[in-house]
Amino acid sequence: MSFKYPVVMPKMSMTMETGELINFHVKVGDHVKSGDILFEVMTDKIDMEVDAPADGVIESLVAEPGAIIEIGKPVLIMLTETEVMAFDFGSEEGETSQVIEKKPVEPVEVTIAQPTPAIVLNEKVKAVPKARTEAMARGIDIRTIAPTGPDNTITMHDLGNARVDPVISARQKANRALVAKAIENSRSIAQASFSRKVNSEFDIAMLIKAWAKTLRSRPDLAIHTNIGVALIIESKYGSALPVFKDPDQLSHEDLTSLIARTSESAIDGKVPLAMLTGATTTIFDLRAYSMNSATPLLFPNQITSLTIGDIGNLEKNISLTIDLNFCDFYDGAMLLDALIASLTK
Amino acid sequence: MSDRMLTMAEAIREAMSIAFDERPEVFLLGEDVGIYGGAFGVSGDMYHRYGAERVLDTPIAELGIVGAAVGAALSGMRPIVEIQFSDFTAQAMDQIANQAAKIHFMLGGALHVPMVLRTPQGSGTGAAAQHSQNLEPWFASVPGLKVVVPSNPADAKGLLLSSIDDPNPVIFLEHKLLYKIPGREPVPEGSERIPLGVSKVVREGKDLTIVATGIMVNKAWEVCEKLSTEGISITLIDPRTISPLDMQPVYESVDKTGRLLVVQEGPAQAGFINEVIAQMAGSASFGSLIAPIKRLAGMNIPIPYAPQLEKAAVPQIEDIEIAAREIVKNWR
Repeated sequence: MSFKYPVVMPKMSMTMETGELINFHVKVGDHVKSGDILFEVMTDKIDMEVDAPADGVIESLVAEPGAIIEIGKPVLIMLTETEVMAFDFGSEEGETSQVIEKKPVEPVEVTIAQPTPAIVLNEKVKAVPKARTEAMARGIDIRTIAPTGPDNTITMHDLGNARVDPVISARQKANRALVAKAIENSRSIAQASFSRKVNSEFDIAMLIKAWAKTLRSRPDLAIHTNIGVALIIESKYGSALPVFKDPDQLSHEDLTSLIARTSESAIDGKVPLAMLTGATTTIFDLRAYSMNSATPLLFPNQITSLTIGDIGNLEKNISLTIDLNFCDFYDGAMLLDALIASLTK
Repeated sequence: MSDRMLTMAEAIREAMSIAFDERPEVFLLGEDVGIYGGAFGVSGDMYHRYGAERVLDTPIAELGIVGAAVGAALSGMRPIVEIQFSDFTAQAMDQIANQAAKIHFMLGGALHVPMVLRTPQGSGTGAAAQHSQNLEPWFASVPGLKVVVPSNPADAKGLLLSSIDDPNPVIFLEHKLLYKIPGREPVPEGSERIPLGVSKVVREGKDLTIVATGIMVNKAWEVCEKLSTEGISITLIDPRTISPLDMQPVYESVDKTGRLLVVQEGPAQAGFINEVIAQMAGSASFGSLIAPIKRLAGMNIPIPYAPQLEKAAVPQIEDIEIAAREIVKNWR
């Protein structure tokens, strides 16, 4: 199965709002490999080449060279079957996944939130040959290293000073910034949190299914037609949030194996494209960390978020945060009560 | 093990004498090599020991001298030609490049030209532009010629014996300032050969690799000694034969040190040492470099007559020292 994947105008600086498309390096029908240059963009501050996020085929070129394009708006559409490294923290519409997967889109109407972290690195750096080979062997992106050698050249000394893994940390930083921004945007939302101890055994698949079922039982609270449960997973690049769509319609076995497969690839920073969008609620399961609570946070365009803590003696702590623009206090209490009832049944 | 400390002139004379004794077909010809004993005293008393039939004084006619040697070599002799200054080989270049180097190939391998052409080269004698050149790239760029550049008496002896044995023409380039200097190592008795095409690791260190030829090996040695007191340890490699060139020890050393400094006396432009750099840049050891390759060579000018300018025109010990220290300090 291949997906349409819009490659958008990247955000290359904090103040950037639009960018100018300079030219395309590909044409419709071209097969591209991950990392191939797709097009070049220019802002008042920086020029940048945008790479293919995955292997695929160019389906259409959406913009004309010379056009001024808003960040996040598509520049071209590619078809891909590859899982790519990307994170999504809720889209404007909340239905993006459907657009990407199913509808024969008018490409210009596709909207997608920042599909890849915007890391701006110099395209070319000077480095001694050994530093390049060594960096490659150690999985370090040489461009992330600060040069101190003559003529701004990266020396072995600079490589020695490089932090653990600068590629990871650069992506982590970008990823973190995206999470923070998403949370920051929803911080001003009027919200309330509820929590209760429960004394029953349930695995993550049971919890996700029960929560989806609970939400579906309250169509009056739904701002989305579909239910997408985002599960926070720690990857080597920071938090990844794969989205499980309508999980209550999957069997427990199927969902368990899907979660296992997804977690495994998410740890390596790879999440299938189709699982990056369409979240309507988020679950943060703290049991693996033996934590008993964390501040449950709302992501944009989600009106609920669940946190599961482990408080020992087989007891769990379930916290629910709600958006008071869409739910009353009473609704929050009722949702949590219904969830716990279904888990302890 | 012998502990004889000979000068390079003595070592070369000894090698020629051994070859004279081993093979009746070996003979020496050149300007003033006989009664006078050679312009730099290399043949010395050989005229008196071997007679006028084997140590031939020739007219001042380089083309004729080399032509006679090529003809003799084709007829089964093993001539050693001495050209008084390497600058004068220009006169004989047709015989060297078009005849000696090519005949074996032009005749489908039917004949060989087992000839050695010895000639002094280099600056430092106040002999100005026409008597001071380092012309090794001329010869190294002619396929069919082997080119030897000894840096010390012991190597000169062993390499010259191999050159005389060689069935093909060998150009043997002797730096004239080395003639009168005893080497650091004794010259072994006997007739042991040093094979052509094998680079010598003169000393081993871990911070820098220096590749130097001829007299520059001696200058670089001084630098190695001095910098070792500062904690900088240097590998010094002397290719000895620049055609064919043995790069393997250079690769192995750069794999360890990551830094390469190349030194020659001749002009930088199109110099032999550039071949070392080119081969390094194209090798698997390129990835071991932790510093740009540094080249020290003569200026692209005719060697000046004024002694201060003559000195300034080619790398000196201080230049090598500065370059070596900088490359190690700046690139970590």
